Amino acid sequence: MKIVGIAACTSGIAHTYIAKEKLLRAAESLGHEIHVETQGTIGTEDELQLDDIKNADVVIIAADIKVGGKERFKGKKIVEVPTHVVIKSPKGLINKIQQDLGL
Amino acid sequence: MKVIDAIDERTIDLSMDVKNKKEAIVQLAGRLKEANYIDDVDSFVEDIYKREELGITGIGNYIAIPHGMSDSVKQVGIAIGKTNNEVEWETIDGNGVKLIFLFAVSNDHEYAKNHMKLLAEIATKLGNDNIVNRLLETKDVMELKEIFSA
Repeated sequence: MKIVGIAACTSGIAHTYIAKEKLLRAAESLGHEIHVETQGTIGTEDELQLDDIKNADVVIIAADIKVGGKERFKGKKIVEVPTHVVIKSPKGLINKIQQDLGL
Repeated sequence: MKVIDAIDERTIDLSMDVKNKKEAIVQLAGRLKEANYIDDVDSFVEDIYKREELGITGIGNYIAIPHGMSDSVKQVGIAIGKTNNEVEWETIDGNGVKLIFLFAVSNDHEYAKNHMKLLAEIATKLGNDNIVNRLLETKDVMELKEIFSA
């Protein structure tokens, strides 16, 4: 699968970056391609590229707050979860999405 | 600046003798005070608990990441504590906590942005299970620094 995602948490200090790392490592170990943008107190980092969004099979939004720029994902399959879901069980989430999408 | 620059030996205690979460947070806050990162333990701890109310900070695998955005923070930093016994904490996997990363962050986000980035990098490393497992095993400050700088 090709995945793009956003991570964002309440204070934008810690959970955001842990969630991102968990998603990246899980996706890569399962053989998927992934890009994750973080929206934290230090601003947006690793902003998603339009091409990556265009080619993505799914958008994973791991956030405890409202994220910015969701209009970029118009027409895309979007999965929204709180950060603790990807922190606790990133592979489980990705496998379930893959199953649901039949990919 | 590198992650290792944000890790201050004065704010690390890898053998904490504490009975509960509150004691652990207060002791680590005390270290931040002594090392001049915060100017008041009580108000800092109060702000830590305000954040605790918004969502759990036990991220599983015996790790907790309490963090306070607080006016009492003079310098962005982190205190690291390892407890001799598992401490009860609200966690996503139902286990207790043995390793605590207490982030001290200013309310002014533009302030010390470089240091904020280092904290983000430290958090990133806590998303890596291999690193976490090594951190859980070490009892040595130098080794802990090495793990973070690898």
